[in-house]
Amino acid sequence: MGKSYRLYKIERKIIPYLFLTPNLLIFGIFVIIPALYGVIYSFTNFDGLSKMDFIGLKNYINILHDHLFWQSFLRTTIYAIVVVPLIYIGALGTALLLTQKIAFRGIFRAIIYWPTMVSFIVVGLIWKWIFGDSFGVLNYLIELMGYKPIPWLSNGFNANMTVVIASLWSRIGFYMVIFIAALESIPATYYEAAEIDGASSVQRFFKITLPLLKPTSLLIIILSLIDAFKAFPLILALTGGGPGRDTTYVVQHIYEFAFTKTKMGYASAMSIILFFVIAILTWLQFKAARGGEIS
Amino acid sequence: MLKSRKVLYIILSVLLIFTLIMGGCSSTKSGSNSSSSNAPSETAKKVKLDFVWFTDGVEGKVMKEIIADYQKEHPNVEINLIEVPYDDLEAKLKTMITGGKPPALARVTNPGAFASAALELTPYLGDKDTFMSQFLDGLKYYCIVDNRLIAAPMEVTANGLIYNKTLFDKAGVKVPQSPDEVWTWDEFAAAIKKVMKDGGAKYGVVWDFTPHRWTTLLYEFGGSIFNQDATDTNINKPEAIEALNYFKKLVDEDVVAKAVWLGGENPNNLFRSGTAAAHLSGSWMIANYRDTIKNFEWGVTYLPKAKIRSSVLGAKFVMAFKNSGVEKEAGEFIKYLASKEIDDKYVRESLFLSPRKNPDVTYDFGTEMFKVFSNELAVSPPAASYDWSRQDIIPKFTSDLKAAVVEVLQGKKTAKEALDHVAELAREAIKEAQQNK
Repeated sequence: MGKSYRLYKIERKIIPYLFLTPNLLIFGIFVIIPALYGVIYSFTNFDGLSKMDFIGLKNYINILHDHLFWQSFLRTTIYAIVVVPLIYIGALGTALLLTQKIAFRGIFRAIIYWPTMVSFIVVGLIWKWIFGDSFGVLNYLIELMGYKPIPWLSNGFNANMTVVIASLWSRIGFYMVIFIAALESIPATYYEAAEIDGASSVQRFFKITLPLLKPTSLLIIILSLIDAFKAFPLILALTGGGPGRDTTYVVQHIYEFAFTKTKMGYASAMSIILFFVIAILTWLQFKAARGGEIS
Repeated sequence: MLKSRKVLYIILSVLLIFTLIMGGCSSTKSGSNSSSSNAPSETAKKVKLDFVWFTDGVEGKVMKEIIADYQKEHPNVEINLIEVPYDDLEAKLKTMITGGKPPALARVTNPGAFASAALELTPYLGDKDTFMSQFLDGLKYYCIVDNRLIAAPMEVTANGLIYNKTLFDKAGVKVPQSPDEVWTWDEFAAAIKKVMKDGGAKYGVVWDFTPHRWTTLLYEFGGSIFNQDATDTNINKPEAIEALNYFKKLVDEDVVAKAVWLGGENPNNLFRSGTAAAHLSGSWMIANYRDTIKNFEWGVTYLPKAKIRSSVLGAKFVMAFKNSGVEKEAGEFIKYLASKEIDDKYVRESLFLSPRKNPDVTYDFGTEMFKVFSNELAVSPPAASYDWSRQDIIPKFTSDLKAAVVEVLQGKKTAKEALDHVAELAREAIKEAQQNK
C-alpha cells in the first residue's frame, strides 16, 4: 500500500509536467530561447550575418540619444492613449448592447466578432481599399457627390486616424466577447435588488456593473495596451508607416533597424527597452487596480 | 484497474513527447539521407547544385530552359532552382550561410553583401579585369569586391521614363525621338501639365517611391551620394539640395503625383489604370506592361535632363558560395551562364537589358524601348553606378533618405535640414563600414 501511495505521489508530481512538455517545448524553442538571444544580441553589434562583437552598453547609450526612436515611441504612446480607451468603451458599449434582449443578437455578435478572425495584414489592405487616396472607395463616393477627395493617407493626421479606425474595427470584437462573458456572469439578483431600492439604470451601471467588471476591465486594458505598443502588421499594410514617418510606430522602427539596416544588435536593444516599458506599464496597472480585486 | 490506466497515461504521454521530438529531428535527417543515397545509386559522380532564385517576370521560366539544356550536356549535374520571394532573399541566404549550409549558387542584386562567403570566380571566368571589360563599366563595382571577382552580371536595369502614348497623343504632345531632342525638366513639366489639361490625365508623373529612383534627379543635378571612394558623403552638397528643392517644386505643382510619395499608392497600378501621364520607373517594367496594359498605348522616352543626363544602373548577378561542397561545378555553371550566347538568350527571352557594352540583342518586343534605356545608361555618370554598388553602406540610410525627401515634401523641414540629417547618418554608416573592414 505504502509503495503504491508513493508511486501515486510521484505520478501526481510528474504527470502534469509531462502534459505541459509539448507546449513548453514549442514555447521554449520559439519564444524563450530567441528572447534570450535577443538579450545577448542587445549587448553586441551583431549585423545579422557574421560580425558579432561584445560592445557592452553602447547600444543602450546610443538609443538614449536616438531622437527618431523616441519620436516613434512618442507616436506609439499617443496612439495607445487614443486607441486603448476607445477599444475599452467600444467593447464595453457593444457588449452592453448585445447582452440586452434584442432581435438578431447572435448575428450582431458574430458580425462584430468576425473581424478579429481576419489577419492584420488583410485588415490593413481592406482599409487601404477604403481610404486609399486614389483608388479608395471612400474618396470615390466623395467625388461622386461632387466634393474634393480627402487626403486620407497622404496627410499625417488623417493617416493616424485611419490606423486608429482600422485597429478599433479589428480588435473590438475580441474584447467584446470577454465583456459579454463577464456581464453575463453578474447575478441578476443584484440588479433586481437595486431596482427595488429605486436605483436608476445609470446608477446600476456605475454601482454594480462597472465595479464587478473590474478584473475584466484590468485584463482588457492590459491586453489592449500591449497590443497597441506592438502594433505593426496592420499599419505596414495600411500606411506603410507613412506619409514620411508619420505612422511609423516603435515596432516598425525596430523592424527597419533589424532587417533593412541589418543592425540586429541595436534593434535588439530597442526591443529590450520596449519590453521593459510594457512590463512596467502592466505592473503599474496591476498595482493601481490591486490585481483586479473587487472592493 | 485505476493503476493500469495511469500507467497507460504515462506511457502515452512519454510516447507523445518522444514522437514530437523525433518528428522535429527526423525531417532534417531524412532529407540528408535521401540526397546522399541518391548519389551512389545513379552515376557515381552525380552532384546536386542548389540555386537560390527570385523571379520578377518570366525569367524563371527562361532559366529553367537554360538549366535543362545544361543538364543535357552535363548529365552528372543536377541544378535545383529554389525560388524565394525577393523580399526574403537576403534573409534566406544569410540564414543558409550562417547555418553552415550555403547554396551552390544564388541570383542576387548586391553581391557585396555576401562577399565574405563568396566563391572567387577567377579560376572559372579568367582574369577579373579582362572578364569585366566586356560589361558596362559600372558593373565592376559590384562584381569585384576586395580585389576578388565574386559575381557575374546577368542583366542590367536602367531607370527611365515610360509614358502613356494615348494621353500624349490626345493632348498633341510629342516626345523626344532622339537623344538630341531631350527635354529639360522645365519643358518636361510644361508637357506633363498639357497632357493633364488637354489629354485628361488625372495624375502627372507617377514616380516610384524609392530612394533609388529619386536619385535619378540627384545625378542629373550633378550630385551624388558618396564621394569617389565612399569615404565621405555628398548628400547635403548644394547640388543635392537643389535637386530636392526642384523635386518638391514638381510635387507641389502636381507634375509628380502626390498619391505615390505621400499617399503610398502603388505607381504601377496608377499607370496601368491609364490615368497617369507617365511613370518614372525602369526597364524592368517593360515585360510587365506588355502583358498587363491592353486598353491604351504606351512607350518609352528619354528622361529629361538637368545639368547632365543620367539614369541609374541596377543589375542582377549570379554568384557561388564557398563551402557548398560543389564549388567547381557551380563555377563551371556560372561560366556557362555568363557566356555571351547564353546570356543573350536569357535577356532576349526575359525582356531584360543586356549587361554587355554595345549590346546587339534583338527582342521580339520593344527593341526600340531597350535602345532608349541603353542610351540612358551610356550617358550616366560613374557615380550613378558606384553609389548603389556600395551595398555595405547604402542600405543603412536609404530609408532615412526616403523619409527626408517626404519631410521636405510635407514642408516639415527645408531641403538642407533634411539632407544634413541624412549626411550625418551616412557618415556614421561609412565609419561603421570602415571599421568592419
